[in-house]
Amino acid sequence: MNTELKLQALVDGELDAREAREVEALLAQDAQSAALMQELNWTKSALVGNDAELALPETREFFWSKVERAIAIEEKQAAAAPAERAWWLKLLYPATGLAAMVAVMFVVSGGRTTDGADSESVTEDVNAVSFRSESEKMSVVYVADENGNFSPVSEEVKNAPEADK
Amino acid sequence: MAKQIDHKAALDVQLVAASQAGDMIAFEELVARHRDKIYARAFSMMRNEEEAIDLAQEAWVKAWQRLKQFQGDSSFATWMTRIVINLCLDQLRRQKRTRAESIEQLDEELGGVERQMPVVATNPSEGLERSELRKRIDKAMNQLSYEHRTVLILHEFEEMEYKQIAKVMNCSIGTVMSRLFYARRRLASLLQSLKKEQQS
Repeated sequence: MNTELKLQALVDGELDAREAREVEALLAQDAQSAALMQELNWTKSALVGNDAELALPETREFFWSKVERAIAIEEKQAAAAPAERAWWLKLLYPATGLAAMVAVMFVVSGGRTTDGADSESVTEDVNAVSFRSESEKMSVVYVADENGNFSPVSEEVKNAPEADK
Repeated sequence: MAKQIDHKAALDVQLVAASQAGDMIAFEELVARHRDKIYARAFSMMRNEEEAIDLAQEAWVKAWQRLKQFQGDSSFATWMTRIVINLCLDQLRRQKRTRAESIEQLDEELGGVERQMPVVATNPSEGLERSELRKRIDKAMNQLSYEHRTVLILHEFEEMEYKQIAKVMNCSIGTVMSRLFYARRRLASLLQSLKKEQQS
């Protein structure tokens, strides 16, 4: 910190006791620093209690009506915000369901990857069959009805060509 | 059910408690009591009536929204003033990004100009009526850059310490000290010029 800023810090009471003594010793020897110190003190004391006093140039009723209206608008927007989130949640739930279904398919298929070959998995307990084709990049799950007839319940095609999207 | 209070006679703390419970009439009374002070602080920083009114209004809306966060560590007026100061600083930062700085302002920012100013040898406020001194201070403040004006306002009028100013202005304590030093030296010089103008 340079001497000038130390003088100011002394005026503002921001120096510790040791620093304050050092600056006071300097002031006793250096007339220029003492003159600057005096100027800083004059400026500080001129400002004390002399903040401009201004009145808001609008009536109490008019200003309050604006504040009240702005609060109402903000609260309306805040209330609308959760509704927007709910809209996103509506998309989130089916996406989560789909992801769970893919996970089930993966488990049912045994989590195996084949070297380009098709694979089929049958689990008698759940009476479902999954079919996975690496070459076609697709998986199909068949579930048996009460008569034992299998029908596909879901299919997923991975890495579909750009043109098909 | 909320306790009924006499809004006109109630203390600020009572009105704040009622407002926190959703009493809009209590909040209106707080607005009525402190609106001039909040507007005056916004005007002293922005130097523009329209902007000051808008920012004062925004401050009251923010206050209503954050009222539950007010714990009473300071007075309600101090808390409100901090809100409007922060809004003004945000607005001034946005404005600064969009306007070109003059060479003089850049000199001020870099420092050094204040060292070229001769020391004021007579008290520039001596013998002045308070109203006249206020007018002159206001006129001189108008001629400072927003950084220097703000640091003076926060230090002298809001009685904030260097570190508190550094925090709200998002700069170092060294920058605060440097700006404050320049602002005071320039203010002394401007007040002296105004005194000389009147004497001649």
